[in-house]
Amino acid sequence: VTAPPSPPAAGAVTGRRVLAGTAGVERADDGGIATYHLHVDGALHPVAGAWIGESLLTVLRDRLGFTAVKDACEQGRCGSCSVLVDGRLVAACTMLAADASDARVTTPAGLPAGGPARAVRAAFLREGAVQCGFCTPGFVVAVTELLSRRPDADEDEIRESLAGNICRCTGYGRIIAAIRAAQDTLRGGAPDRAPGVENRR
Amino acid sequence: VTIPATTAVLHRPRTVGEAVRMLADAVDADLLAGGTDLVPALRSGDRRPRAIVALRRVLELRALGAGPDALTIGAGVTYTELADWPLAPGLAATARVVGSAQIRNVGTVGGALGTANPRGDLLTFLAAADAEVLLRSTTGPRTVRLPAFLSAGCRRGELVTAVRLPRPSGPQVYLKIGGRQAAYPALVSCALLVDRVRNTVSCAIGGIASQPLRAPAAETFAAAEIDWVAVARSEPGRVAVARSEPGRVAADAAETRIARRFGELVAEAARLAEPALPDGPRTPAGYRWHAAGVLAGRALARALPGADR
Repeated sequence: VTAPPSPPAAGAVTGRRVLAGTAGVERADDGGIATYHLHVDGALHPVAGAWIGESLLTVLRDRLGFTAVKDACEQGRCGSCSVLVDGRLVAACTMLAADASDARVTTPAGLPAGGPARAVRAAFLREGAVQCGFCTPGFVVAVTELLSRRPDADEDEIRESLAGNICRCTGYGRIIAAIRAAQDTLRGGAPDRAPGVENRR
Repeated sequence: VTIPATTAVLHRPRTVGEAVRMLADAVDADLLAGGTDLVPALRSGDRRPRAIVALRRVLELRALGAGPDALTIGAGVTYTELADWPLAPGLAATARVVGSAQIRNVGTVGGALGTANPRGDLLTFLAAADAEVLLRSTTGPRTVRLPAFLSAGCRRGELVTAVRLPRPSGPQVYLKIGGRQAAYPALVSCALLVDRVRNTVSCAIGGIASQPLRAPAAETFAAAEIDWVAVARSEPGRVAVARSEPGRVAADAAETRIARRFGELVAEAARLAEPALPDGPRTPAGYRWHAAGVLAGRALARALPGADR
């Protein structure tokens, strides 16, 4: 994975503005440089001087520092950059950031505390569903979204739902086991015992 | 980040009217729907349109409609939404096997038509269904049949607003083969639709020619071999027994024979299809013709109750 180039220094681009046209039409001008806000993990983040063609992945990682969103294929194939946009699972590399300025974006670090995320993270650690860990944040987002919608999903549905998240280490056996364990925890079965989950960053 | 001089304007219309006015005014504008094709292409530099017209907020495009004879699907409807639509079970089954959850949640019907990848799952199904494409520009609406749309594309300033197809009236089967489904388009795909009102079978194959191919000889053969009187009495999900073979075992054998012959005729049509898609290093045309026949035979067998599945 090649590290993406660093963003331009603040102020390197001059004369930027966003034109808010009539009839609800918004457009950025001045060579495609725009200033807008993104709603990420419950807070509003200003994005200044960004090219309008930048993906949500690029803006989240390189401009706003949300590094839990991983950057791998940039073609919508691997699931490393999975986030929730208005609650739906999407690959951030397939979405234009400037077109997401009216949406709620949730990264792996901002999954709601009241949902299944805590049990999912704990189960991934306890069951050894992590090797190199690069794909893990994307999996946690996808699994959390699945279990909040379909808490009793069977193994076929789990595998179908996770087909867009690729892990090159584990062979998926431990990941599936972790999801089954998380389902047990969420049903009130086995206690969630994993230490240190709250300090993972 | 080097800021390219090219893509300079992002339009975010809220209505179809606004969208077509922006398209008419823009020089070299790309439409942005789900983004699964365009956004990676912007990142890699494969595409640098002067302007982008983003359609995500155009709610008019996101409607599903059902009339007495036809279904209308807005261009902004996603695969996930289609997969949950009980009025179109065949289309729903097709949508469910497109890409991954991440792709299905954003990818749209209009995007499939706009990109018009000859291996696109949806195009194969829509070709079998005799779908029409509904377009709008500042000069008004226009409707074209899918093959004409795929040959000629949109006119300048035109936007795909919806597709229209007949309501299903019999079993519909979609099958495909290829690499990892979540990451790559199908190598060969097959949609087979049985119409128990008009007594017809239609079959389209993707991955052979530059647009989905129909196999009229095979369709005529199947329609002639099916006992449509028995069809009317059979359970709704399945078609029927074959003609003039008394007894259950004999009927099963006849259906297996019909499905096999049907597959041969489809493979024959694939051999003659033009313009053919180029061979890949591991995907020679001969393999894809054979696969087309196998998928088509299998699809018809699934629609017939007794044949080998």
